[in-house]
Amino acid sequence: MFDLSAHPGRIYVLATLLPLVPAAVILLVGMVRHLAGRHAPTTAGAYLSVACLLASAGMAGWGAVTYFGEVERLPAAEVEARWGERFDWIRIGGSVTDQPAAVLPVGYRIDRLSALMFSMVTGIGSLIFLFALGYMADEKKSVPLPPQGEGLGVGGSHSDHSPPHPHPLSPGGEGSRRGRFDRFFLYLSLFAFSMLNLLVADNLFQVFVSWELVGVCSFFLIGFYYERRSAGTAANKAFIVNRVGDAGFLVGMAVAFAAFGTLNIADLNAKFDTNHPQDISHTLWIVLGLGIFLGAVGKSAQVPLQTWLPDAMEGPTPVSALIHAATMVAAGVYLVGRCYPMFAPEVLLVIAYIGLVTLFISATTALVMTDIKRVLAYSTCSQLGYMMLALGVGGWTAGLLHLLTHAFFKALLFLCAGSVIHGLHHEQDLRRMGGLRRKMPITAYTMLVGVLAISGAPLLSGWYSKDQILSSALGFGMANTEHFLLFVGPLLTAALTAFYMFRLWFLAFGGEPRDRKLYDHAHESPAVMTIPLMILAVFSVGVAWGWPIWDAEASALGKLLHAGQPHGHGLKLDQAHKLAEANHLLAGGLALAAAAVGIGYAWVRYGKQAPTPAQLAEPTGLLANRWYFDDVYDAAFVNRTVDAAHLSANVDRANPDRKAEGVPSLDGLMNSAATLAARGGDALRAVQTGRIRVYVLALALTTIGLLGMLFAFIR
Amino acid sequence: MSELSLPPFLILSAFLLACGVFCLATKRNAIGLLMGVELILNAANVNLVAAARFVPSLKLEGQVFALLVVVLAAAEAAVALAIFLNFYNNHATIDVDEATDLRG
Repeated sequence: MFDLSAHPGRIYVLATLLPLVPAAVILLVGMVRHLAGRHAPTTAGAYLSVACLLASAGMAGWGAVTYFGEVERLPAAEVEARWGERFDWIRIGGSVTDQPAAVLPVGYRIDRLSALMFSMVTGIGSLIFLFALGYMADEKKSVPLPPQGEGLGVGGSHSDHSPPHPHPLSPGGEGSRRGRFDRFFLYLSLFAFSMLNLLVADNLFQVFVSWELVGVCSFFLIGFYYERRSAGTAANKAFIVNRVGDAGFLVGMAVAFAAFGTLNIADLNAKFDTNHPQDISHTLWIVLGLGIFLGAVGKSAQVPLQTWLPDAMEGPTPVSALIHAATMVAAGVYLVGRCYPMFAPEVLLVIAYIGLVTLFISATTALVMTDIKRVLAYSTCSQLGYMMLALGVGGWTAGLLHLLTHAFFKALLFLCAGSVIHGLHHEQDLRRMGGLRRKMPITAYTMLVGVLAISGAPLLSGWYSKDQILSSALGFGMANTEHFLLFVGPLLTAALTAFYMFRLWFLAFGGEPRDRKLYDHAHESPAVMTIPLMILAVFSVGVAWGWPIWDAEASALGKLLHAGQPHGHGLKLDQAHKLAEANHLLAGGLALAAAAVGIGYAWVRYGKQAPTPAQLAEPTGLLANRWYFDDVYDAAFVNRTVDAAHLSANVDRANPDRKAEGVPSLDGLMNSAATLAARGGDALRAVQTGRIRVYVLALALTTIGLLGMLFAFIR
Repeated sequence: MSELSLPPFLILSAFLLACGVFCLATKRNAIGLLMGVELILNAANVNLVAAARFVPSLKLEGQVFALLVVVLAAAEAAVALAIFLNFYNNHATIDVDEATDLRG
């Protein structure tokens, strides 16, 4: 089956399917054990998951090396045939021998972008799986339950106004539950399969299926501690907000299928190869692009659908690192990158401006957040905004390079945050930390690497990608001077990024401990957690290096990507690219200056002396309320939905039979139909008098009336 | 004596029909109802015969139908009278408003 010499691309299929094995095994074993009445938590499945993903990562490495070797020496058509296949999955209409009316194929297609992404996802995934073995160790035995929350309420958006996170492990609850060690890895493995399938899929339909699968895995994992109310609502919120984006994705797919009769990404891209796309009107072209982009907006947490990502931090920290920072949220950017030629110039402009708004709003919100994971969550939104902006201004390479580098340093930052939370026994409030560099040095200094990388310090991976993004934006802004804001916004935000990241680091690790009791109980994490940190730190430094390393344009990873850059339809893109290259040093210098200003200001405010009580007060105002997005959504949609639910619940409760007992029931609507029929019967009964005279009179009058109508119409 | 045209016959027929319907709508006596029905049937008969006389394409059809109606009316009257007789035997009245035994 796996004839690797003719079809080396099949190694990717194998690597994709491999994580499905532990998921199936855990599910099956769990069911059998449940039927056998044995409920003690198991752990073996977790190790199997880690082993399978490591094997996947190995295959991905072999595949990437082979692919990039072949793509250099073989002709393009042969590479295409060796690294992509498809077959019909669903045939609609037509008999066996006829041509079917419609076909939904499945297949895979490896290109430069997917090969790199695949290696990144499996590599980071393996490290995070390893980390989770340590982080989730509490789940190996029974876990005490948290105190029960109050009754049913509304919305997941109020969670961060509540006092410090009541962790499920905190004492004071009644009873306990079984540990969910294996279940966690079941979800993670299922997620890994879905994500990898999304990467190799060669058509939009298959992408959509995986898209939903990663969405549901995200739902399971955000709601992993579902005893906690806020976790349940956050999971719902993530799922429901993503539906909005998916509706757009479906519209985009429908337009593509209606216009071209295919959903294959390569075929669709080929239709848009020239500047004058065939077979589609300009309006539909825009609808197609906006639809697909709306899907990406939902998944990649762009304004206006960004509100779910910060709440998703309710999930365990390895989940935040893998799904809500490094891989799944990047799927939207990846999709835009893969479908790049399908976007009309107007749509690319929309993408750029959405990215601009997102990166600015999220960065400003991150300035005042006090929960360590929320700062990182907003920073993720902001960085995804950078990627979208880069794609929108024609910087395809820059945006996707940032996607790859960001994955490494953001996974590192989240895992460091996880290590801190683990070491502090589930304390996440930055204001109670401080001085932790002495207690957990490995975490502190690996996190410093991540902070430097995301701030764009020279020679670290984030520098290469951010530099390219800013020069693309500068080139675009110079070619289209009315859109110069697209350069100023990211530049300003680069300073904000450096500031809030260093604020986080100084508050957590710098200065003196602010909560002595917490500090005394803090401990460095075990090796199974710190080793992934160190590996990720190495990658965060060097993943984008090229020769010479002081030249941001020389990044080897960037060059690999650049060779695969598709044809785009942006405004004056050729001119913008030329201007970007010409003014590259200017953009890089400004970016460095911005980062230096941000770091310096953070040092003045939080590093040089201990933060004042005023700086540690509960933040208020526009930024602390996340620009009121959640409040507006609550008022406009959430509360209206709840009102509608109350209304229909009241209709259902109006049960005449059992009203006296006060029994809530679902019979109201059914009974009202029956009551209507009975009342109507009673009313009609009066007509049936049984007296012939009345009938005859009615008959005569009706006849006269009908005749009158007849004559009236004949006239 | 000049030949009559169609409308006088139709007017007569309509008058008979109106009388019959009025009879049905006002009487409570079962025999009275039966007479009203006879009036309506005869109104129809007048129509049929007149049509046979004045519509050129018709030959004997009108008369034949009128005969059929007469036979039908006789049969109907026989059945109805038998019912009324039995009703009278059981209830000692032929007021149709008293016939409520089958009401639910």
